[in-house]
Amino acid sequence: MWDEQFERLLRSQLPFLEADEALAGDLNLREFGLDSLGIVDLLVSLEQAYGIRLLDDDLTMDTFAEPSVLWATLSRQISSAK
Amino acid sequence: MSPAGYADLAKYMMVSPRARHLREVADSVLDYSLMDEYRKAKEAYSEAGQVAFLISCFALAEWAQQELGIEPGLCSGASFGEKVAIAYAGSLTFSDTVRLTVAMSRCEESYFRLEHQDVVTQSVARIPEESLREILADLTGRGEWSDISCFIDDDIFMVSMCEQSLEKFTAAVRATGGIPLGVMRPPMHSAAFGSLRRRMADEVLADFRFAEPRLPIISDQDGSAVVTAEAARSLLLSGITQPVNWPAALRSMRERGIAKLYVAGPDALFGRVRSAAGSFDVVTVNQRMALRPRRPLKYAERKAS
Repeated sequence: MWDEQFERLLRSQLPFLEADEALAGDLNLREFGLDSLGIVDLLVSLEQAYGIRLLDDDLTMDTFAEPSVLWATLSRQISSAK
Repeated sequence: MSPAGYADLAKYMMVSPRARHLREVADSVLDYSLMDEYRKAKEAYSEAGQVAFLISCFALAEWAQQELGIEPGLCSGASFGEKVAIAYAGSLTFSDTVRLTVAMSRCEESYFRLEHQDVVTQSVARIPEESLREILADLTGRGEWSDISCFIDDDIFMVSMCEQSLEKFTAAVRATGGIPLGVMRPPMHSAAFGSLRRRMADEVLADFRFAEPRLPIISDQDGSAVVTAEAARSLLLSGITQPVNWPAALRSMRERGIAKLYVAGPDALFGRVRSAAGSFDVVTVNQRMALRPRRPLKYAERKAS
């Protein structure tokens, strides 16, 4: 499961998700308001927060489709950065 | 033109008296019911979708002017938004702008049905222009064609190329830390479309009479001020072959003393990029804002106004 920082940063880019609504792992992020510029902003804020840089195959729209996929991608990069 | 949800725009066009009136004007010049066609349209940039977008942007710009008490110094519109700016500046009547939108859309559709069928326009973000140009130079070196169609922000671009070049291109972008966003079909804004420009001039724009804009229109291609009827016509034609350069348009507005931008209509891009949000006070004027009940002015506000 992801940490509080991830949830906070992701929620800040989801204008259609109410504060009291759960952030499910398979939530369709696009439907909840994560658009193209939102993806770019989220990417930058996640990289800064976790001190990583995503490259190559991680930088596709699929990475930003659902919270669980995005967190799995980040976790991989965080582990390899350690 | 940002893809807008059908439900959002349809509701606005049904509820807002201003948009409803414009919809009636549109219906009187179209050979179909706009709402019926818009509901059935499958493509994000369908002819009916373009007219619905035009109505919404125009109605919201008028709403902002009247309800928020704005006296605009100039106006501008990126890509499809050029048509809205031309209508707003009174260079074409609203009903003529509807006719023009439909005629240009049909001309483009028939052109791309036969020409450049393999060309698409790919958006990419988080890549410096220098890195993008290196990647495009590599493509050129391999004999593959490409052209920058939109400069959207300092690190966001749209590039036209043949579909077969896409995979190598997007992989190279990702290798620099850039991120490929969406792909548009048919493509737009490229020097390769010179014959479409000629056809549009002869078959479409020749039928329209433009007037001198009542306020300057800032060109989304180079930031110059469009102040004559002929320049307004040329803006639409050169938009076919010239790239959009939104940072240049924003720079020009800043240099002309503009500090506040009212972005009228559905927008997921042009009012939100760093070049806009970082340099201007940006007010988003969308259909939700216009439909929100307005509270009565407080005593102090009444006195001040």
